[in-house]
Amino acid sequence: MSMLEIRDLNVYYGGIHALKGISLDVEEGQIVSMIGSNGAGKSSMMNAISGIVKYQSGDILYRGEKLPTMANKIVKQGICQVPEGRLIFANLTTYENLYLGAYLRKDKDGIERDLKRVYEIFPRLEERKHQIAGTLSGGEQQMLAMGRGIMSAPDLIMLDEPSLGLAPLLVNTIFETILEIKAMGKTILLVEQNALKALSVADNAYVLEQGRITKSGPGRDLLKDPKIAEAYLGKAAH
Amino acid sequence: MNLQYFLQQLVNGICLGGMYALMSVGYSLVYSIMNFSNFAHGGVIMVGAYVGYFALTALHVPFLPAFLLCGLGSGLLAILIERLVYSPLRKRHAPSLYFIISAMGASIFLENFVIATIDGTPRNYPTLFANSISLGGLSLGVDSVLMIIVSAISLLVLMFIIQKTKIGLAIRACSYNEKAGTLMGINSSLVIFVVFLMGGILAGFAGMLYGMRFIVKPTIGQVTNKSFVAAVFGGLGSLPGAIVGSLLLGVMEIFVASFNSNLRDLFVYALLILVLVIKPSGLMGKVVEDKA
Ligand SMILES: Nc1ncnc2c1ncn2[C@@H]1O[C@H](COP(=O)(O)OP(=O)(O)OP(=O)(O)O)[C@@H](O)[C@H]1O
Ligand SMILES: [Mg+2]
Repeated sequence: MSMLEIRDLNVYYGGIHALKGISLDVEEGQIVSMIGSNGAGKSSMMNAISGIVKYQSGDILYRGEKLPTMANKIVKQGICQVPEGRLIFANLTTYENLYLGAYLRKDKDGIERDLKRVYEIFPRLEERKHQIAGTLSGGEQQMLAMGRGIMSAPDLIMLDEPSLGLAPLLVNTIFETILEIKAMGKTILLVEQNALKALSVADNAYVLEQGRITKSGPGRDLLKDPKIAEAYLGKAAH
Repeated sequence: MNLQYFLQQLVNGICLGGMYALMSVGYSLVYSIMNFSNFAHGGVIMVGAYVGYFALTALHVPFLPAFLLCGLGSGLLAILIERLVYSPLRKRHAPSLYFIISAMGASIFLENFVIATIDGTPRNYPTLFANSISLGGLSLGVDSVLMIIVSAISLLVLMFIIQKTKIGLAIRACSYNEKAGTLMGINSSLVIFVVFLMGGILAGFAGMLYGMRFIVKPTIGQVTNKSFVAAVFGGLGSLPGAIVGSLLLGVMEIFVASFNSNLRDLFVYALLILVLVIKPSGLMGKVVEDKA
């Protein structure tokens, strides 16, 4: 049994059929990447799992059971999304944002430990812990969004385009962090447009095109696929 | 204008402003989470004033229990309105306009409900505190001093809850972005419940203070619309803004009235229009164009 199983998932926004019966599996402890161009439906899939977008048919099973429909209850199950565009709380301090990540946790010691950990990974956040998050730079806000995700101590963490709009050096930091999160024993579902990096770190990967999964397999296999190289890695097929 | 008169009027203004503050934070709290102006709030304040009246005249309880009963009654009413009126709209993702129209409907309903079940005649609270304290040449009514004290305590408790507690943090988070709050595991229905409860309790307190100072009748909800002006003046959605705006409005209103009492309401509503035209975000509000 996979940790997360999606079966024949359909999402409509009014007349727009955004996800057309997709199925995928995420195994415990793995990094699963999903690549796809703009509007393919990547965020829709994450939001359906998180419960902030309703799906019309299909099943989402977590550890073999149907997920609750209320978004806050899904977080309680140990699933956390670091959303696209970060959605940090710009009116609150860095520390308050991180603390909100741990909103449902009761283990004070664990929260303290994870806070230390986040500050170790992103020392910049500790320097700016009393700064209003809206005044952080874009890169710092992305660190904050990831730190906030770590603070929720999820079993499954879903990252929606964590490297979007970041300078190359910071993109590396973000991917190092993703590997670190994996080393902490977490399972990661990663959505990315940076296909090269996303496929390199992935145990398993899926390609989503216009609401359909068109390819799947181990990350390194997809990296070698000439069609993918052409479409997503910006290389001409040989 | 001598100094003594000035100080006397200043105290009156703070007294009125404190009462406005108790009312306006309710508008601001709801606006900050749900982005609409809850005009049913006036009705909730009015019902609070009636609860106080009957607690004093029928139950013959002293000030403090009557005051707490007002909070309880209005708090429950605010939650009831949320559940019966706004909650179904929320589930349908209705636009803000629907909320405002329903809120106005609820307010008119409450007014007429009171007329139908009690009656429309204005009533006076029994005199609770006739004494006054003299303080350096000033003679302050005990009721005025008490009003300032209970307003201050209530507002401080509210600020403490918002700034220092976990549910307060959740409220602030959801006021910025409810979706992001939900992704943190915050139960947004609970946040809305708490917001209406707190706004309602303070509305009940304000209703009693209003009854003590002025008169109780079904239409006082409309009069309390001035506290909405205070909330807009301070910046809709900002709690400190609502409090500062209320105090300033209260003081300015008293001084305008002491100059010419006919100008009182004219001044208040002119201020509303002026703020909306010149600086819609008020003194401290968040900048949003869609102020419904
Ligand atoms: N709330 C919505 N209402 C209507 N259509 C929507 C909504 N959200 C997404 N869509 C549409 O659904 C499709 C999939 O959108 P989605 O955001 O899932 O794409 P994505 O793969 O995440 O794209 P990107 O890489 O640009 O983030 C798009 O055509 C989009 O316009
Ligand atoms: Mg997306």
